[in-house]
Amino acid sequence: MSTRVLTEFDLLLPASLEEALDMLERERSAVTVLSGGTDLLVAMKAGFKTAKAMSLAHLRNLDFLAYDSGSGLRMGPRTTIAQIVDSADVKQHYPALWQAAKIFATPQLRNTATVVGNLLRGSPAGDCSAAVSALGGTLVMASAQGRREVHVDNLWVSYGVTARADNEMAVELRIPAPTKGTVSAFRRLTRVNEDLAKLNVAACLQLDGSTCTGARLAMGCVAPTMIRLPSAEAVLTGATINDDTLALAAEAVQQDISPIDDQRSTAEYRRAVAGVYLKRTVQQACGIA
Amino acid sequence: MSKHFVTLNVNGEDHDVVVASNKTLLDVLRDQLNMPETKYGCGTGECGACTVLVEDFTAINSCMTLAATMDGRKITTAAGLQKGNELHPVQQAFIDKAAVQCGYCTPGMVIKSVSLLAKNPNPTEQEIREGLEGSICRCTGYLKIVEAVDAASKAMAGTVG
Repeated sequence: MSTRVLTEFDLLLPASLEEALDMLERERSAVTVLSGGTDLLVAMKAGFKTAKAMSLAHLRNLDFLAYDSGSGLRMGPRTTIAQIVDSADVKQHYPALWQAAKIFATPQLRNTATVVGNLLRGSPAGDCSAAVSALGGTLVMASAQGRREVHVDNLWVSYGVTARADNEMAVELRIPAPTKGTVSAFRRLTRVNEDLAKLNVAACLQLDGSTCTGARLAMGCVAPTMIRLPSAEAVLTGATINDDTLALAAEAVQQDISPIDDQRSTAEYRRAVAGVYLKRTVQQACGIA
Repeated sequence: MSKHFVTLNVNGEDHDVVVASNKTLLDVLRDQLNMPETKYGCGTGECGACTVLVEDFTAINSCMTLAATMDGRKITTAAGLQKGNELHPVQQAFIDKAAVQCGYCTPGMVIKSVSLLAKNPNPTEQEIREGLEGSICRCTGYLKIVEAVDAASKAMAGTVG
């Protein structure tokens, strides 16, 4: 193990999507797909072994980012976090995603890391994963056999394991367009800005005046995967957003989370701050922070 | 292990090299092209000592980039910033403000500052500090570095790059 020397592997550099899908069909679990590689290279330097890695660097037109007020946001598997930060459309229509991207890692890593890579890493700490979970995104998976859609609610199976089959590659992420009354926000707790989260939260609410008619809440670093918060969502849905309901939602979060002690924080601390962070995130989304 | 033939345009000059699949851009710059100005720090994308520019002004961690994926790309290291004998305004400002202590972070810090000013020519102090996140000075001489970037932004007013 060394942070200087990468373990040995064969690098596949497909020149087209068809070639990439053929390679995946042939190689299956022998190959690890890397997009930005900012997680995978660290993992490989820390001892993760893969016989083959497939880079998407030579694939064209997979770094698109397009917003349409009807169909919503579309991005490719090579679309970087920096592109999200630079997008006025994302900033205006998807505050949770923009806020997550804005404080994601460091400027250099934002220029390389991708949103889709963040989702498929399957880490419970992914900042963009929290945002996309709250915003209800859908990944389009392609294989030599065809395409299918995987909603973010069905994406994370267990720690580091996703619903992506080993012959599949994500080719697009779609996030529905906000409607009148859709608000969202993201917050993260770290020791210093560059750190991975001790805890992160994203909230997307549908508001009718001050009444919440729908809520998608996602929290990271409190379970083996990024999770939705069904108990807290149930408290907020149909309720007026005020100090009382927020206090109830903050309390309900305790039923949804199962944090552990690790190098970045403790279960006890995460339990203590989870409700507070949820409350502040919802307030931020509703503009009452 | 696979080997790959790539052409890297570094500081305006094409270099044809055969790189092993597990070599990072940093490895190739330092060990195969004998360009030691780009430094190895943490190796995991946290310290920024290895920062280089790709395609003009995009700052990346060369320790986190596989060299084989960079075929045909334009790369600028700290040694490629000066024009002839004239230092880049950011380099000059680092000297004028004595924004160097041990110097190990300096090439990455200078490169990062050039990237920052290309995107935001008139940054506030807060924007400079945010823009320099991901570049760590272990001597903790940040104040001088922030002053140098500010001085460079004023020196570069009205110019590009």
